[in-house]
Amino acid sequence: MNEMRTIETISPIDSMIDAMIDDRPADGVFRLDRRMFTDPELFEAERRHVFEGGWVFLGLACEIPEAHDYFTRQIGRHPIVVMRDGSGSLGGFINSCPHKGSRVCQLAHGNSRLHVCPYHSWTFDSAGKNRGVKWKAAGAHAPAFDELSHDLRRLPAFAEHNGFLFGSLVGDVPPLSEHLGEAAKLLDLITEESPDGIELVPGSVAFTYHGNWKLQLENASDAYHFTSTHPSYLKVLELRAERPDDATPRSVWESDQPWSEEAAGVQGGSYSFDHGHVLNWGLIPASPAHPMYDRVEALGERLGPGKRDWIFNMRNLTVFPNMQIVESAASQLRIIRPIAPDMTEVTTWCFAPRGESAAARRQRIRSYEDFFNPTGMATPDDAACYENCQAGHASGLVGPLQGYSRGIAATKLGGNVFSDKLGMTPAANVLADSQLCDETLYHNYYRAWRTRMRAGVAREALA
Amino acid sequence: MTRDEAAEFLYREALHLDRREWDQWLALYAEDAVFWIPAWKSETEQTSDPDREMSLIYYEGRRNLEDRVFRIKSGQSPASTPLPRTVHAVTNVLITAREPHAVETSASWTVHRYDTRRKDAHVFFGLYEHRIERRDSEWLIARKKVLLMNDIVPSVLDVYAF
Repeated sequence: MNEMRTIETISPIDSMIDAMIDDRPADGVFRLDRRMFTDPELFEAERRHVFEGGWVFLGLACEIPEAHDYFTRQIGRHPIVVMRDGSGSLGGFINSCPHKGSRVCQLAHGNSRLHVCPYHSWTFDSAGKNRGVKWKAAGAHAPAFDELSHDLRRLPAFAEHNGFLFGSLVGDVPPLSEHLGEAAKLLDLITEESPDGIELVPGSVAFTYHGNWKLQLENASDAYHFTSTHPSYLKVLELRAERPDDATPRSVWESDQPWSEEAAGVQGGSYSFDHGHVLNWGLIPASPAHPMYDRVEALGERLGPGKRDWIFNMRNLTVFPNMQIVESAASQLRIIRPIAPDMTEVTTWCFAPRGESAAARRQRIRSYEDFFNPTGMATPDDAACYENCQAGHASGLVGPLQGYSRGIAATKLGGNVFSDKLGMTPAANVLADSQLCDETLYHNYYRAWRTRMRAGVAREALA
Repeated sequence: MTRDEAAEFLYREALHLDRREWDQWLALYAEDAVFWIPAWKSETEQTSDPDREMSLIYYEGRRNLEDRVFRIKSGQSPASTPLPRTVHAVTNVLITAREPHAVETSASWTVHRYDTRRKDAHVFFGLYEHRIERRDSEWLIARKKVLLMNDIVPSVLDVYAF
């Protein structure tokens, strides 16, 4: 019997996990099997184990500042509602009625003391407690019914770090502080952009693309694509510089071009953190093109020159597996949601320091729309490239990818003089000149992917 | 401008876009024209203040549309090379306000887009609000506001599809 059990639990997925990633640091080899982007069974497994089997980002506490505020999101396939109850406590719940399964909250966000299921009127309060089973007394239930909790199902893990909310559909996860580790200091830096913290600019924008979710994951960390994928945007910046006009949006790249061969010395690099988080960053001096330029002195006085300089740097942060914060042309928060092996949805918001001047906010929003929106001049070019990659991968059976090689010979363990300015110790770093364009930070994604997949397979084998 | 003339004006803008007659399309806009596509902030409410809330596109000045056309034609935008094919259909044209030298119109629109890279089609739909002003001897678009109803963007959505 034991032997049979063993055979049953060695699924094809179990053997595929290790085969996908050819990771031999001693030989300087990291290659990825293209089936990572195409295989339907692998996709189903990673949706269960990566997205529904560990910490994922849900949203910001500042989205629900008042008692009884709520927003709805998803974890993998599951609808989630995050609510602030009457006492101000935050909670995350499966947004599905325990009676017949209907979604209880229908809207993206709102405020309500009570949530009435639209199907049979079971009613829940903002702490997820059942406040009414319609016609309960006349229901002729067996006693066994009363032994069940009729509340909304609470997420097995839900936690906040400095206004960033995370949840997990499984309970056996490390504490959030351990999951975020040193990367938490980059989230903290964002909240320090204003003494009053950050807020979301009203109005979110979402796009889909016919490609695997990891294409978006990688692209935010990809310094190598910028001048190849976005030359049309860079040409528009040149046109604007030739014909200055107050009506055109600003960009931090209108004068600063860290990728040029003339840019000498260190221009940025990457940090890899435990649990799959990465930062791709570039040195950008404070300039009037940046919406926080009017606060450069105040930031220096409040935070010191080290943090001030980091606030003006380009920072593309991924908190594995579904959250990206991109600060360059403006400031963007993204949530990545896998839908199918070749279909992904990305929901985006512009965030901003509270209390910035009306002119700075306007400048930030114009820069954001111009560069980041799927109706802007950069993101559609990325999305087209994701779709070209997915088409190129096709069956996935045409040999491994070579795009994980740049920077291997430059990788150093621990931090460096720049991370020291944040008191931050990453697991590894690469310091890059203008054209190194590190690709080792993707290794960190896939090692975390492998860890979550193995843990998920082991969890299911025990179940 | 009569309702028939306003409708013809809107049809002409749509045809210029579908024929990729970029210069003629841009020539319909006043130099200080506003081109605005609000984002949605809930299921039922779109944003209303472009300086404090997100828009899909907000430009003041034809210059910005010229830059968009430059990018589309540059051959260096993967999203625009090859360019998707579009057909606009504009209906339900009404005059909603009339001044001595200006009219405001509302209209319904659909844009069928055929993505030649992926060989598939998508339909965008929404409402238009145009303000058309008589400037010197010409009628020009002073403001175009587009409400996009199906606002989850499938990969690429550019000015030629509004």
